[in-house]
Amino acid sequence: MAEDAQELFAFYEKDQHLAINNLCRTNHLPEWLRGPVTGPGALRGTMTRMAQALQDIARHQRDLNPPGAEILRRLASTHLKVRGLLNNLEGLFPAPSLPPGRRHPPGPTAPTKVFQQKLEGCRILWSYARFMAKLSAQLEGRSRGGRREKRRSHRGSWLLARS
Amino acid sequence: LFVLLESTVFPVTYLNITKDLALQRLLVEWDVGKPAHDAGLAMSFEIQVRRTDENTTVWTGFHNVTLGKSAKPLHWIWDSDLPLECMSHLVRIRSKAEVSKIWSQWSLWEAVLGMDTSNNSEPQIFPNEKIVEEGSDITLCCIGRKGRIIKEFFLVPAVHVFSHTNSQVGLLTVKNVSHQGVPHISVYCQESCNEEQCYAHSVFFVGKQPDTPNDFSCQTQDMRIVTCTWSKGGETYLYGHRLPKYTLFEEFSQKMVPCTVSCSEQCSCSWNIGQQRIYNITVTVENPLGKKTAMDVFDVTHRIYPAAPFQLWEECTDTEITLYWKHRNKGIELFCQTEVLQPNGKVELHNSSDTHLHYASITLGGLQPYTEYTVRVRCGAAKHFWRWSEWSEALTIRTKEATPSGKLDIWREITPVLGGRNVTLFWKQAPSFRANGKSVSYEVTWEKVEGGSKRESISFSPVHNSTRISIDNDSYRISIMAKNNVNYSLPSVMIIPRATEILFCSFLGTEELKEEQVNGTDDGIFISWEPRHTYDSYIIEWCKVPMLQPCDLQWKRFGPNISSALINSAAFVPGVRYNFHVYGSVANRASLLEKKTGYLRELPPLLDPIVEKVELTLNAVTLSWDSYPTDESQPGFVRGYHVYVSPIQEDCLLKGSKKHVLPDDSVLCKYTIEDPEEKRYTVKHLLSNTKYKLAVKAYTGGGETPIVNFIYIDTPFNSNLMYLLVLLVIVPAVIAAICHWKMKWVKERCCPVIPSPSKSKVLSFKAFKVRSLKI
Repeated sequence: MAEDAQELFAFYEKDQHLAINNLCRTNHLPEWLRGPVTGPGALRGTMTRMAQALQDIARHQRDLNPPGAEILRRLASTHLKVRGLLNNLEGLFPAPSLPPGRRHPPGPTAPTKVFQQKLEGCRILWSYARFMAKLSAQLEGRSRGGRREKRRSHRGSWLLARS
Repeated sequence: LFVLLESTVFPVTYLNITKDLALQRLLVEWDVGKPAHDAGLAMSFEIQVRRTDENTTVWTGFHNVTLGKSAKPLHWIWDSDLPLECMSHLVRIRSKAEVSKIWSQWSLWEAVLGMDTSNNSEPQIFPNEKIVEEGSDITLCCIGRKGRIIKEFFLVPAVHVFSHTNSQVGLLTVKNVSHQGVPHISVYCQESCNEEQCYAHSVFFVGKQPDTPNDFSCQTQDMRIVTCTWSKGGETYLYGHRLPKYTLFEEFSQKMVPCTVSCSEQCSCSWNIGQQRIYNITVTVENPLGKKTAMDVFDVTHRIYPAAPFQLWEECTDTEITLYWKHRNKGIELFCQTEVLQPNGKVELHNSSDTHLHYASITLGGLQPYTEYTVRVRCGAAKHFWRWSEWSEALTIRTKEATPSGKLDIWREITPVLGGRNVTLFWKQAPSFRANGKSVSYEVTWEKVEGGSKRESISFSPVHNSTRISIDNDSYRISIMAKNNVNYSLPSVMIIPRATEILFCSFLGTEELKEEQVNGTDDGIFISWEPRHTYDSYIIEWCKVPMLQPCDLQWKRFGPNISSALINSAAFVPGVRYNFHVYGSVANRASLLEKKTGYLRELPPLLDPIVEKVELTLNAVTLSWDSYPTDESQPGFVRGYHVYVSPIQEDCLLKGSKKHVLPDDSVLCKYTIEDPEEKRYTVKHLLSNTKYKLAVKAYTGGGETPIVNFIYIDTPFNSNLMYLLVLLVIVPAVIAAICHWKMKWVKERCCPVIPSPSKSKVLSFKAFKVRSLKI
């Protein structure tokens, strides 16, 4: 998914002619995409907002592009992947139900001008790509650590068994 | 008064400019003094427009008007090609009465300010998100903040622009703009700094007006719902909420049509009609660049497009099908058409008038038994036909079986054996024969013509097409019938005459018929025969594979008026001799009339004649090749032979021969023998004691093969010459030698020396003479 996120951003930046002066490559990431991920709950929250953001970007792009445009196809594909991850997270780590009246805090007001909307979309995709890259590295690190631990504990029990 | 008016001016007393940013135009309002209105003067006004960045007037125009008595101000509109926000625009006006020669003073410049005078916190681009028509021109500006210079101002994707960016206001003009295959064009602007607030961005859209709706037409299936359809038109390159929108309006009722437009390949809109029957529908398509309309005026009862018939089912006999179907919409009188697709691909159409019945039907007659037909139905309005419905689903129906029609075509091959004949019977379905059923079996029956024998019969399955029966020498009637599940066909009958009759015919010489050679062509072998009026049909038989046993006998039958045929068979092979027998048939009895033999195409002989005997004389050589075959084992009719001769060392020049040049340019003498049975030839006028090479080649209608092998001969030395040589040269030489050797002996024996007294000195003649005289 990290690779998919990077490819989507690269395609979007080029397709929307935004690869000028690093307009999209902002250092001011949205707060919900800054990471690090502290647990499945946090990841679920991020993915929920990312799914919504992708829907918004797709809706904006549908207003600009013919049906079947490549950008729409790619946005839909990434949206599906995010939804898939969300489903898995919700299956493995069901979220506690929110008390009535409690909602997610609203995001910043969406820009209304076409250029600003597509730039905002580009920056979110950039931030998402960075987030997924970090998450991937984080998970990879944990996985390696886990394997080391496992090997150590196996060796320990073997030594115990020998002695 | 006139002189007074000539020099009177009526200056502009009031001037007000406002801007319409949506339409990018200046609205100019002005007035002159009341006296001019009261006088109802005809006035000319000169109007000038200026922009702040140019010290020149960008536009000058004249406006002529006759003032009304009511003191209403005058109005005028100026459309700007540059966004009004880009810079301040100024207008001034002066006036002149038509009767006067003098222009008034100019009014003061009246200005509408542009955004360049504002205290903006960031640069701004105008127009913002404009939609322009492909092929038009567009001018954009970027207004920097106060005191800032525009460093960069460009479009992505890049297009050729006329730009001017050396000031607080940057200008870009694109002429004949095109959409370049992208949904929108982005605009980038940067002041001469790098912070985020130094940039401005925008987009604009390039599109097309929608096309006029094409093929706009309305119809109904059931007189309750009307559907209007039209073609979508070409690409406008504007999407989302900028897509063309369609609305339908009914002119007679002056109401919007309550339908929802849906477009895929075509657009359509449907609604429930009430009691209204006559409609005038206008469809309007509109996008931000323009709008187009199309109209349809119609009577609903004249626009019935029925639903396709459905639930087809049938009843059938062997020659008829009665087809039934249902209509979806009752109450509409319909006229239907049935399409019948025959097995040969031919299509027939049958019309039927319908009523309002829920079930309709049609009976199709004259059909073939046990034959598949594919049928389908469509209908149209019986009154005020508009168009056919779609075809119903097709139904494939097979008629029932019936008695086989026509007769089998039968033939025989008779082989005499001890005590009788073996008769091989063949049968096939003649072109006029129809099985009329799933499969046919065959029944072969035979009995003596004069009676006195039990009728014998055998049945055969559909895969069989021949059988062999044994009969004695009496005359037999053979009958073959086809049978299906319904009945037998009419019998095909053949009479095998008594064996003595056959012998009698043979005695008359009919069996000793001369075999006539026939020619092959590209299309087959042409057979013709003498027509005779006694026969009701002719049959030609031949073997498909003459070299095999059985040879796969074939036959073809012809009517009484036919006397020739081109026998074409895919099995005919060049170089194979086919023998054809022509029979005449009357009262089911066949008699052999003529024999033909021929090749589809003759080929040269495979093998050369083998010269078995070579008889040499001094000046001639006789060659014999008696055992060379000229029968059907040859791939063509042997027409004769060529004998080729040549001395080894030189070209041939024999008397009585023709010159034949080989591929290596050597020359042979060629002799032709035109009788294939003449298998002996003498080559004369050869030189003795000379080496010759010879070859004998057979030729057919397909020519002969190249010479490969030669026979070599040496003509004998000529002994007569030897004898002559001995007589004329050697014998005299021997005699001369002997004579020379024994000359003395010979001389003495032949011509001894006779003493001559005159030579004696003693007895010399002179003295004698003296003495004689003295006597």
